[in-house]
This record gives sequence, structure tokens and C-alpha cells, in this order.
Amino acid sequence: MNMKIDLANLTIAKAHEHLKKGDFTAVDLTKAYLDEIKKKNAEINAYREVFADALDQAKAADDKIKAALKSGGKSADFSVLLGIPCAVKDNFLIKGRITSSASKILENYHATYDATAIAKLKEAGVVFLGRTNMDEFAMGASTENSAYGVTRNPHDTSRVPGGSSGGSAAAVAMDGALFAMGSDTGGSIRQPASFCGVVGLKPTYGTISRYGLTAMASSLDHVGHICRTVSDSEIVLAALRGQDPKDGTTISDRTYEKKRVGAKKLVIGVPKHFLTGEGVDPATMKAFDASIEAFKSKGYEIKDIKLPNISYSIAAYYIIVPAEVSANMARFDGMRYGLHVDGKDGIEDYFKTRRAGLGKEVIRRILLGTYVLSSGYYDAYYNRANAVRAMITEDFLKAFESVDLIAIPTTPGPAFKIGEKTNDPVAMYLEDIFTSPADLTGLPAISVPCGTAEKEGKKLPLGLQLIARHGDEAALFEAGKSFLGEE
Amino acid sequence: MITVKELEHLAVLARIDLSEDDKKSLVKEFDSILGYVDQLKKVDVKMDAEGRVGAVRNVMRPDIASPVSVEDREALLAEAPDREKDFIAVKKIIAQD
Repeated sequence: MNMKIDLANLTIAKAHEHLKKGDFTAVDLTKAYLDEIKKKNAEINAYREVFADALDQAKAADDKIKAALKSGGKSADFSVLLGIPCAVKDNFLIKGRITSSASKILENYHATYDATAIAKLKEAGVVFLGRTNMDEFAMGASTENSAYGVTRNPHDTSRVPGGSSGGSAAAVAMDGALFAMGSDTGGSIRQPASFCGVVGLKPTYGTISRYGLTAMASSLDHVGHICRTVSDSEIVLAALRGQDPKDGTTISDRTYEKKRVGAKKLVIGVPKHFLTGEGVDPATMKAFDASIEAFKSKGYEIKDIKLPNISYSIAAYYIIVPAEVSANMARFDGMRYGLHVDGKDGIEDYFKTRRAGLGKEVIRRILLGTYVLSSGYYDAYYNRANAVRAMITEDFLKAFESVDLIAIPTTPGPAFKIGEKTNDPVAMYLEDIFTSPADLTGLPAISVPCGTAEKEGKKLPLGLQLIARHGDEAALFEAGKSFLGEE
Repeated sequence: MITVKELEHLAVLARIDLSEDDKKSLVKEFDSILGYVDQLKKVDVKMDAEGRVGAVRNVMRPDIASPVSVEDREALLAEAPDREKDFIAVKKIIAQD
């Protein structure tokens, strides 16, 4: 190796330039990350498994880099992701490897095909370092619901990293990967990104194929990623987006009309009425107000907006999600794949297998979903929640007639203590108060670091969330880069 | 709000064994969750509105079978808890006289 690799300040774009110039190889880079993981993972538990063949993947990438450089000229340009080490949440299928969704029921399940997002990353030449811990089947906001132990926040190991993509956020925050794949159904990328001081993107519903992502609540599940910078997030999205015949919900670049109200600079809306609720940490509001001032001083116009029904988001969410969970989890029957616990007959096999293989929160949501969908309650709960969801969406679309972005905090406060909310499901659900609206509406949203809150002598990261029109990730990147002073 | 009997019925529908302890804590948790989501009853909703996420449109594909390679079939079968040759083996569901 010709130079020391400064992982703490590395970005995908910088790493690509170094690989091009030969400052270090993909093997050097992968080794540097594996060393960090070795040092830190025993305590943080970001990774459930570090892939034994990571260096082989890096070697293959180096061969491609060498061949590209040798050919010279234009073909000397190679994919910006070639040789870049990445972590993958344990709910993405990578052919031949275990995908467990942090559940006992899939403990030894080997994926039989590649998720589309994974296939695209393979094509680009990414090095997969390992799979990261998560809340079981992505149900949770702290990674405490993993069947394989909690992940700790690298900024304060007595606190949670957020969730459900807590392992992915912690992996990037501890310099254990240059970027990480995640999924977001109610905030599962943005909330842990906020808690860990990194950048989390949930694109428009349908932007990235979910083929090969373990399903949780299909009308809200999104694939996205966690990076160190907004520019990196943009690079990764460019590699992952696109229509997929294997996921009928995927969209094209033409699905949504391009529109802006700001002639030169984007106009940012702030729903002040939504930010005054109790339970929002004063430090969060202080950082948020300072962020809005920063946008003002950069010449952005700020407008007060109203989202009349947004406060019902969590209530609607916790009806719709369990309903969809109860349907999606029905596939775990102990017969076709995964855990099997033997009973006296086929029916008893179901009962025993599902009880033994599924965790508390998963069972809670299955039963709740069965309840809200049962006859007599269907209209009162499920239909009503869907109608409210439509009203929330209308509110947002109306707001986007006068603004290009909506800014709110990512979370009500900084990372909480391990165990603080485990016995109170509603308190845990309220963690998603600022993130679930973008999932219910399918609008793209990004969380960027916006300062810290000091708790018990530790500086804990806070996140600013920007939400844009359907299909307008470009607005998120433009404002996000400007906010973080990138470029 | 929910009784143990109702909960037991849900567990049968969802095919999950519940212990007595599970039931006790679930009844309590259901009460607090349903208590929270009940705020939706206050909303003056347009019940004909459908909750939809983004642009909804039909997506069609040709109605043709796609062949599965021998390797893929083997990989799928290898994940089954029990198999008999190229079939997944399950317990008998109809009793014999």
C-alpha cells in the first residue's frame, strides 16, 4: 500500500479516485475495513456475519480495475462502485448466503437468488463485507428486537443505534463500511442514520426494486441506503434505481412529472404546528431551528405550511402495517423453508413452528393485524386507516403546490438508552412520528446530520429530515449537499 | 378492550401457540395500542378514499411459465425441512379410515 487509508474522512468518490490513481488497491481498502470491524464489532455488534470471501471479492475487483486502467483512454473509466466495500442488512437475499432477517425462523435459510438491488451492486463490482443486525423482520426502531442481540450506538454504547437498520447505520458510523444497504417501512433507514450521525436515504416508493427483500408491509416497504455524505448517497441511488419486471411497483423516470416552484433556489416548507408536541427534545428543536436559519442564510426561501392530518400518521401506520404484516408473515409455515418444529399433525406443526421461530414484536403485529382485518373491525380500523392515509397524502401534495421541500426533524430526540422503551410498544412506535409520513405517502426523504445533543457528557447526533415531491430525489440531494457544505 | 377469549381466537386464526404469560401481556399491550389508534375515530374521513402510495397503475406481464433450472430447483428443495425426491414432504392432512 502506498498511502495510509483515512477511513474517517473517506467517501465513495474519494476512494474511487485513489483506486484509479493506484494510491491503494481494493484489497487494501477491504483489509482496512475488516481491521476496523475486528476491533469494534465485538462491542458494537453491527455485523451478524462478516463474509469470509470479502478479500476474494476485493481481489476480483482489483483485477477489473487493472484491466480497465491498462486498456487506457475512455475505457480506463470504471464503475465508481467497483471495489467499494459495503454492508448489507440481513433482509436482502444474496444467493448462497444466509439471510435471516434477524429471526430464529430463518436462522439457517440460504438465499436461492440475488435481490435485484444486490444483483446491481454485484454488477457494479461492490465488495460485500457482511450482513448487518436489525430488528426481526425490520419490526422495531432500536435493533433490540433482533433474535441475535442488540446493536450498540458507536457514539455511546449504552444507547441504541436506532432501527430497524441499526446494524447498517452503526457499521457506517464506526468506519466499518463505506456505505450500507437498508430498508425503510416507517423510518428504518432515516431514524438510525440520525441516531448514528450519518446520511440515510429513503427514495420514492418504487424507485429501487424490492425483489429479494424480505417483505414486511408491502405498501410501505422501501429499499434505500446509508452513507457518509449526500454525494455518496446520490452515487449509490444512481446504481440502484430503475424499473424491474420482478417488482411491479417499480417506477420509471417518467412516472412523476418534474416540477419546481422556486425559480432559482428551492423553497422549503416547515409545518411548525407539527413540531410543538410534547416529547420533542428541546435540543432537537434547537438544532432544527438552527438548520432552518442556515438554509435562510444560504438564500433559501422558508414558508410556514400546514399538514392538517399529519398527526394521525402513527395511528394509521400501526393499523396498516400490522394488517400487511399478518399477511406477509403467513408464508412462514415450517414446511417450505426455514425452521420446522414437529407437532402431532400438520396443523400443530404450524402453531409450534411459528411460536418457536417468531419473536415477541412479530407475534404482536401478526395478532394485531389479524384483529384489525377481522370481520366487524375491518371498517372501523383498516378501511378508516387507509382513508386517513389518503388524506395525509393529499395534504402533502397540496403543500407541494407552494414548496419544493418540507423540513422536519428526523426523530423527536437523540438515541435513547438500551432497554428504555422495550416494555412500552406505543412509546417505541412514537419514535416513528416524524419518519412514518414519508412511508405512508411514498414521498422521498433524506436524513442528514444537523448537530448534537449533549446527554450525560456524550455528544449524540441529531438528524434533519428533508421530504420532496414524488420522484424528486434531486431536490433532496441539492439541498442536502448545500446544507452539509459538500462541493 | 380485548378479552383473553378474543385473543385466543386470533391466535388460532394466525396459527400461533400462546402461553398464559403471553396472553396476559398481549391483552395489556393490545389495550394500549388500540387505545392509541382509536384517535382515528375522531377524524372526519372520506371513507370512499383509498389509501394509495404514489402513482397507482396496472402492470401486466405475459401469462407464460418461466422455466426453472435444475440447480435452482435443487437449491429451493434443499431449503425444505423435509423432502422426498423432488417434492417437499409434508404430513398427511386427511385421515384414513
